[in-house]
Amino acid sequence: MIAVAELRKLPAFVRRDFLVFMSYRMAFVTDLIFIGAQALLFSFLARIVDPGRLPDYGAGAVGYLEFVMIGVVVSAVATLLLQSVATAIRNEQMIGTLEALLTSPTSPVTIQAGSIAFDALFVPIRMAVLLVATAIVFGLHLDAGGILPAMVVFAAFVPFVWGLGLVGAGGTLTFRRGGGIAAASMTVLALLSGAFFPLELLPQWLQTLAAVNPLAIALDAIREALIGGAGWSAIRGDVLALVPLSAVAMLAGAAAFRAALARELRNGTLGLY
Amino acid sequence: MAAVAVRDLSRCFGAVEALRGVSLTVAPGEIHAVLGPNGAGKTTLLRVLSGLAEPTAGVADILGRRASPGRERRGAVGLVPSGDRSFYERISALENLMFFARLWGLAARPARVRAQAVLEAVGLQEAARRPVNTFSHGMQKRLSFARALLTEPPVLLVDEATHDLDPAAATQVRALATERAEAGAAIVWATQRIEELPGFAGNVTVLQRGAVCFSGSVTALTAVAGADRHLLGFARGALAARAELEAALGASRLEPARDGDPDHAVLVLAPGMPLGRAIAALEQAGATVLSCRDERPPIERAFLAVTGGRAA
Repeated sequence: MIAVAELRKLPAFVRRDFLVFMSYRMAFVTDLIFIGAQALLFSFLARIVDPGRLPDYGAGAVGYLEFVMIGVVVSAVATLLLQSVATAIRNEQMIGTLEALLTSPTSPVTIQAGSIAFDALFVPIRMAVLLVATAIVFGLHLDAGGILPAMVVFAAFVPFVWGLGLVGAGGTLTFRRGGGIAAASMTVLALLSGAFFPLELLPQWLQTLAAVNPLAIALDAIREALIGGAGWSAIRGDVLALVPLSAVAMLAGAAAFRAALARELRNGTLGLY
Repeated sequence: MAAVAVRDLSRCFGAVEALRGVSLTVAPGEIHAVLGPNGAGKTTLLRVLSGLAEPTAGVADILGRRASPGRERRGAVGLVPSGDRSFYERISALENLMFFARLWGLAARPARVRAQAVLEAVGLQEAARRPVNTFSHGMQKRLSFARALLTEPPVLLVDEATHDLDPAAATQVRALATERAEAGAAIVWATQRIEELPGFAGNVTVLQRGAVCFSGSVTALTAVAGADRHLLGFARGALAARAELEAALGASRLEPARDGDPDHAVLVLAPGMPLGRAIAALEQAGATVLSCRDERPPIERAFLAVTGGRAA
C-alpha cells in the first residue's frame, strides 16, 4: 500500500517539472537548435568516413550517419539521465526546497525518483524525435521492425545509468560536488562504447574493457535492431548481459545514496549548500 | 498528553554544542515561544523536532512518538521554515501548494481544493496564479504558512516567521498561528522578537548558547524584569540639582541616561514605589518632568536579565 501511495506522487513531480520547463521557453528553442546543429554536423562528417570501416550489422553497407546518430542519441540520453539523477537532490538543495520535501511524508527514494521522472520521460522522447527527424531529413535507412527490440535493450540499460547516477548523487550529497564525477564516468563509458567510432579502432586492451561496458553492449544491440533489423533472438544475449550489470549498479547506487542521506540527517547538514 | 515533549535534548555539530540538555513540553492548543538571540539553537531545535536532524542525546517526542526521520511522524508536523527559498519560484503559488499537497497523499482534485482553501485562509487567493518569484517577503511567509496548514497538522513548528516583516504582515502571520492554536494545534514559535510574546504566547523557553536559561510563562518572564526603570525627560537644567532630587526620592534613585542627553535620567524605582509618587517627589523638589517612558519594555529587560545581558 505504501509503495502504491508513493508511486501516486510521481505524477506530481512530472507536472511540477513540466511547468518549470515551460517557464524557460527560450531554453526549449535553443535546445532544438542545438540538436539540429548536431545532426547537421554529423551529416557532413559522414561524407568523409569510409563506410567500409564500419561494422556490418547484417544489412550490408552501413552509412556513418546511421551508425553515429544511434550512438549520439543513446549516449546523449545516458549522459543527460546520469546528470539528472546525480544532481536532482543537489538541485533541490540549492534552490532550498529539499527540506520542505523531506518534511512531507514522502520517502527519499520517491523524492529522488520523482525529481528525475520528467527527464526520464522527456529526454528519451526528445532524442527519439531527433533520430526520426534525422532519418527523414537525411534519408537514414533504419528498420522500423527493430524499434521494439531496441526499446527493450534500452529499458534493460537505463537502470545501469540510474544506479551510476545514484552513486554520483550520494557523492554530491556528501561532498557538495559530484556532477563532475558522474560526467567524467559517462565520458569514459562513451569513449569505450563505440558511440562515435567502431570499437575495432581501439587498442586491444581497451576493446577488452569495452566488452563489459554496458553502454557498448546496449549500443551494439540497438544498432543490430535498428540498422540490421535483428529480432528478439539476436538481442536476447545482450539483454541478459545488461540485466545483472544494471542490477549491480542499482544496488550499489541505492546503498550509496541511502548512506549519504543518512549521514546528512545524522549530521543535520542536509539543508546546507 | 503533551503534543511536544523534549527531554535533555542535545545536538552537536562537531565540537559545537548547538543544543545542551534542552527540555520543554507543549500542550495541544498552546503557543510556546522559543526565544533566543542568533545562534542560540532555536532553528536546530525545530530541525530535530521536524525530523531533519537527529539528536545527539536526549529525546524529542511528537504526539507520543519518538522524533526520528520517519515518514509517519512527519505527517503530524507542519514546518514554517525561516528562509524564503523553499518554493519553486517559477511556478505559481497554487501549483506549489498543489504539489506539496500531493506529497502529503492528497489526490489531484482534493489537492487543488485544499490548496485554494489554504491560500484563501492566508489571504493570498488573489495571487494564487502568480509565480512565487513575484511575491514579497511577507507574501512568501504567508505562503509558507499556507503550506504548513495543508493537512491541518496537530503540531506546527514556526521558525522566525515574523523576522523582517512589517508590523501589519507580522500581525497577520501571528493571527494565523493563534487561529491554529485555537483549533487545537500545538505551536512551537521560534523568535527573537521578544516584544511579540505578551498577549500571543502562553509559555516561553529562552535559549542561550544552546541551553535553557528560562522556562515558564511569559508573565513569569516579565516578572524577572525586576525593578521598574523609566526614562525621564526634565526641563532644561533641572538635573543640576541632582543631589537634592535623589534625596527627595528616598530608596528610588536616578541614573544617567544612555542617550547622553544632560536633561535625561533613568528613574529606578524602589520595590513597591508607585511611579506617580516618585514623579510627585521630584516635582516637589523643584524639577519639572516633561516626559516619562519605560527605558526598555519589561519583557526586553527580562530577556536581558535571563540571558545575562546579551541583546537579542
